[in-house]
Amino acid sequence: MQSAKGKVTTQEQIRARAKELLEQKLVTAVLGFREGSLPGTVVPTLVTKPEQSDSLVYDERCLHNLAAYLPRLKHKGKLAVIASGPTSRSIVNLIKENQVKRENLYIIGVAGPEFHHKDTKAPSVRNRSRGTPNPVLCDEMVGDKAAEPAEDDYADIAAFEKLSPEERWQELTEDLSRCIRCYACRQSCPNCYCPTCFVDSSQPQWVGRTTDDSDTIMFHIMRAMHMAGRCVECGACARACPMGIDLMRLNRKVALIVRDRFGHVSGMSLDTPLPLACFQTDDKQEFIR
Amino acid sequence: MSDEQVPAPEFHPRIVAFLCNWCSYAGADLAGISRIQYPASIRVIRVPCSGRVDPFFVLKALQLGADGVLISGCHPGDCHYLTGNYVARRRFAVLNDLLQFFGIEPGRVMFSWVSAAEGERFAQVVRDATEQVKKLGPLNRLATSKTPFEDAMQTAECRVQKAK
Repeated sequence: MQSAKGKVTTQEQIRARAKELLEQKLVTAVLGFREGSLPGTVVPTLVTKPEQSDSLVYDERCLHNLAAYLPRLKHKGKLAVIASGPTSRSIVNLIKENQVKRENLYIIGVAGPEFHHKDTKAPSVRNRSRGTPNPVLCDEMVGDKAAEPAEDDYADIAAFEKLSPEERWQELTEDLSRCIRCYACRQSCPNCYCPTCFVDSSQPQWVGRTTDDSDTIMFHIMRAMHMAGRCVECGACARACPMGIDLMRLNRKVALIVRDRFGHVSGMSLDTPLPLACFQTDDKQEFIR
Repeated sequence: MSDEQVPAPEFHPRIVAFLCNWCSYAGADLAGISRIQYPASIRVIRVPCSGRVDPFFVLKALQLGADGVLISGCHPGDCHYLTGNYVARRRFAVLNDLLQFFGIEPGRVMFSWVSAAEGERFAQVVRDATEQVKKLGPLNRLATSKTPFEDAMQTAECRVQKAK
């Protein structure tokens, strides 16, 4: 953050680049972060004028996955977007799912916000993907790259799976039964862009609208199913959850299933097809008789 | 009869079976016209292809009172729509693993490939499925809490049983 040694901070570089891009009319707007109205908070913002670019901030608080805004900003023309690792992976998925066009995006890559912390070197952030701090797809990189972490071993999932089925059911239902069905997880998720979400559909009404355990668990199983092969583990849903439900446990399990069964890690490359939209004739089928 | 105890009625599982129109449904038909006996535990829902089976169908069936779900389609490579069952297989793999992660017993939701020529195999699949779900007992996870009406019906049924 501090430019003590005369070094230009990432935030200053982002402001400068945003200004240039807007002045040269290379993009119509820059999607980034600004200070929120409550002290200590940041909110996503769309900067459209060069003189506004100094309102942009980038530090450890900028954890939102900005890709969630891209499908609904399609009509805005070419956008520049500040993207760290998970955000860039979400963008890759959105391009593959035909939700945004690559040529309509100018991706300003940055190392994850957790690496722009004032005090410590790389603090652990709740529910944040540990896999990719650096963008996998960008037009330019601003600031230094973060050190690549060791490969994720999904030890938390393996530990949970050691429990008996009864214990797992108990723990998961206890956790999920606190859900108040506010759908903040859905709203914050870049994967959730359906015009009519299955929870809003009334004909057929797939999920009951009560907070009855049965309905809630069904909602969460289906939400996890829809994340299969798509979730980039940015943790936006878990941070948005007002009840502090451990949503990442389900997301990570589904990501692990897809990785183990189909050898696919979500959002890492534009060239690999989406795992549930394709198949191999020799996919494992030990569970089918 | 000296004791007043009424033996617990035998558990007859209700299994919802999603059968693909081109293979498994025809297989079930063959089992029927060949007079092959199998338990009357399945409630068949005909779908155009196993690829039509949304995970929602499975969960909804369990939620609304099925004790088990059986999904059956064409053998890989034999799909009427060429690749429907291949794509479905990937989806089922994720669903199967996720349900087990949740602690739903393995065997509650069953998957099989049955061709139109395999009448005997279809009967065997249903026999095994029924046996398996019987062993697991009625579903107590995921099912929606009973409505007062259902509760009343159950109490009434118990009274009738006792009166006998």
